[in-house]
Amino acid sequence: MEPFQVGSFLTAGALLVIGLWALLMVDNVIKKIIGANLIADGVNLVLVGIGYRPGGFIPEVMHYFYETATPSDYYNLLEFGEFASIAGYPLPFVLVLTNIVISASTLAVMLALAIVLYNKYNTLSVQKMFEEAE
Amino acid sequence: MFDYVLLFVIALSALMAIVQENLYKSIIILTFQSFSLAAIFHFLLATDVALVQAILGAALLPGLYIVALYKTTQGRDE
Repeated sequence: MEPFQVGSFLTAGALLVIGLWALLMVDNVIKKIIGANLIADGVNLVLVGIGYRPGGFIPEVMHYFYETATPSDYYNLLEFGEFASIAGYPLPFVLVLTNIVISASTLAVMLALAIVLYNKYNTLSVQKMFEEAE
Repeated sequence: MFDYVLLFVIALSALMAIVQENLYKSIIILTFQSFSLAAIFHFLLATDVALVQAILGAALLPGLYIVALYKTTQGRDE
C-alpha cells in the first residue's frame, strides 16, 4: 500500500478517536456536536483513501489526454480498459460527495436541538441539565 | 512532504478544537481543519469532493455554528 494512503488512514483513525472522546467525555453540548462532525470527516477520509491510485490521474479531468492533445486526437480517445487501468477509482468519491451533504444537514438538525435544549434549561452543560431535570 | 504536513495539521487542529475553552476560537480552528481536509482530498485524486468540502467547511458549517452559538450564549463565554 502507498505510504500516503497509510498516512491518511492513520489520520482518519485519529479523527475517529478524537471525535469519540469528545462525544463521550466532554461536557459541552456544542463540543459533542463538533465531535460527531469529526467522526463523519474521518469516515470520509477512509473512503477517499480507498479510491486512491498512486501515480494515477483524476478521473474527471483527463489531463493525461489534454497535455498532448491535437485536434485529430479527439477522434481516438482512450479506450475504456486503458482509462480504467490508470485513473483513480471514482465510486467512493461519489459516495463521499453524498455523505458530506448528509453530514452537513444532520449537523444543522443537531445544532437546532442544542438551541432547543438551551432555551429549556438555560445552560449548555450536560451535567447541569441532568441536575435540573431531577 | 507538504501533504504529510497537512495530515498532521488535520489531526492537531481537531484535537485543539476540542480542548479549546472559547467556542468561537474552536470554530475558527475547525475551519482550518476542514480546509486542509479539502486539500488532502485533492491530493487523493478526488477533486469534486474537495470542491464541495471546501465550500461547506469554509462557509456553511462555521455559519451554522456561529448562528447556534449566538442564539445560545449571546456571545458570552460559557
